[in-house]
Amino acid sequence: MAERTSAALDSGKTPQQLFAERSKRLQDALELRQPDRIPIVLGFGYMLAEMYGITRQEQTENFGKAQELLERAAQHFQPDSAMGLFNDPAASLALGDRMTRWPGHGLPANGSFQFVEGEYMKPEDYDAFLEDPADWAIRKYWPRVFAELEGLALLPPLGMAALGCYSLVTLGALKAPPVAKALQALGRAIDAQAGADARALESVQRMAALGFAPPPLAGSIVEAPFDFMSDTLRGMRGIMLDIHRRPEKLLAAMEKVLHFQLEYAVAFSRATGLKAAFIPLHRGSDGFMSLAQFEKFYWPTLKALQVGLVENGIMPFVFYEGVWDQRLKYLTELPRGKTAGWFQFSDIFHVKEVVGDTMCIYGGMRNSLLQAGTVDEVRSFTKKLCQVVGKGGGFIMSTGIGEMEGCKPELVEAWVDATHEYGVY
Amino acid sequence: MSEELVRAIADMREEEAIALARQLLAGGTRPTAVLDDCRAAMQIVGKRFEQGQYFIPELILAGEMLKAIAAEAKPYLSEGGNAARKEGKVLIGTVKGDIHDIGKDIVSFMLDVNGFEVKDLGVDVAPETFVSEVKAFAPDVVALSGFLTLSYDAMRETVQALKAAGLRDRVKIMVGGGTVDQQVCTYAGADAFGADAMAAVSLAKGWMGGR
Repeated sequence: MAERTSAALDSGKTPQQLFAERSKRLQDALELRQPDRIPIVLGFGYMLAEMYGITRQEQTENFGKAQELLERAAQHFQPDSAMGLFNDPAASLALGDRMTRWPGHGLPANGSFQFVEGEYMKPEDYDAFLEDPADWAIRKYWPRVFAELEGLALLPPLGMAALGCYSLVTLGALKAPPVAKALQALGRAIDAQAGADARALESVQRMAALGFAPPPLAGSIVEAPFDFMSDTLRGMRGIMLDIHRRPEKLLAAMEKVLHFQLEYAVAFSRATGLKAAFIPLHRGSDGFMSLAQFEKFYWPTLKALQVGLVENGIMPFVFYEGVWDQRLKYLTELPRGKTAGWFQFSDIFHVKEVVGDTMCIYGGMRNSLLQAGTVDEVRSFTKKLCQVVGKGGGFIMSTGIGEMEGCKPELVEAWVDATHEYGVY
Repeated sequence: MSEELVRAIADMREEEAIALARQLLAGGTRPTAVLDDCRAAMQIVGKRFEQGQYFIPELILAGEMLKAIAAEAKPYLSEGGNAARKEGKVLIGTVKGDIHDIGKDIVSFMLDVNGFEVKDLGVDVAPETFVSEVKAFAPDVVALSGFLTLSYDAMRETVQALKAAGLRDRVKIMVGGGTVDQQVCTYAGADAFGADAMAAVSLAKGWMGGR
């Protein structure tokens, strides 16, 4: 590969020095200050498998190998922070999860993880959901979406637990073979997830030891209440019909979802010390619903979620998927310097104009340019990003899509180098 | 033509629209006339979508109304409906390895209400399937949809497969979907890319006009 134009930038620094500098650089940008230079985060994703010639299935399931490749790639490209894959399949596979497909499981070994949307919650489930979302989720929904948990449908109403010593007579039902089998599967999923959590922590620690800062979005994952009702419950068709057919029920459900998600994120932050909550948005972007519908169904609870997190010392790190050009002005209602926005396809220069004083902007680079562009195109676009979006700080360079599969290594090099070159304040 | 039915559908008054259609059919209105009203209403819906007044909730609800009314009309229909003149034929599908269908479905809907005969191959469509369907259906336009970044390569493979089968020059190819832009279009070897469903319609119309 060609000689790196920014190789000398950090030479001679120890990993500890680099870790401290990079962490501060990211923190400054997140809090709308101007760092020494524009930080850059690489979310490699499946690009690791492509670069180093392993299958995506191996990258997904062989942590030792995937971590080794992440370290190699990070040391080669020298970003401020680097991420591998977002999610770990262990618990999904243990439960026979029907809403995900993983490389080697329902997909070829080199397929890309996909989420299978469906109408897993039917219109007639709304009343039970509103009455008691937990009871409905465990006894009705889990048996539908997790093949191994079908036996949970035989559980007594969970509210019976409140009958104290007399509720113990319901315990015998848990010995019925389908229930027992489901509980065993749940036990395996718990072990699998605990293993995944431990691997995620080990990854961050090993990256830190090499001088790379933790990804700024590390923390709990919660959803805009509308997306919560849409993504894994009603599905796109279902939720869009709910807007017309049962708006009051939808609004009431979102209110419930808002409250328990806040409780979860706050508890998660206290238990782990992580100060961010990642909120990937899906159905609120331009094109899905009108602004009037957005104002009624999407924005109020998304704003309340973010404000609630901020009040508890947590930074919402929000992935504004799709294009938000027509609704950026709503985002200026958010508390200043307390949230971060990762923009996928919005006009990033317009984003800077409208919300640059409100939140840290993350993203900017178009994945298609790193896939099909030239070195010159990449350099000149990076220069423009640094000069316009980076102006005054509050900007973290990254790709618009959180997955760099298909990006060419030589173009990624050119991008990182140009960021180091033009991103110095 | 029942202005009332057209308006009820176009204005998203679902229960009223279905009740009206039922009433008309029971009262002896020809089922084809009721379906023509539906078609007229769908054109209004499409127009309002183009104008940014309607969005996905309205397209989906309109589709639901259409389905319900068609079911009501079915027992009254004697045989095959009227063969309306079509603008041209479009073969559409989400390319191999990708199962996203929202964008593709909207493009299908808009092409359909704009007079095109659309054959939708669904999602995760292999290049070989596009090749055999181009042979069988003989479309004027092939529309490749994709949301994942991996779809860029699948689009390219599909175009190459059509080329290898000697079919490339018989069709115009458009690409589109969440992450697709001009760069991807060039990379895939397609003729044009469209940012949204309206762009797909105007591309297809432009190509048909050019023949």
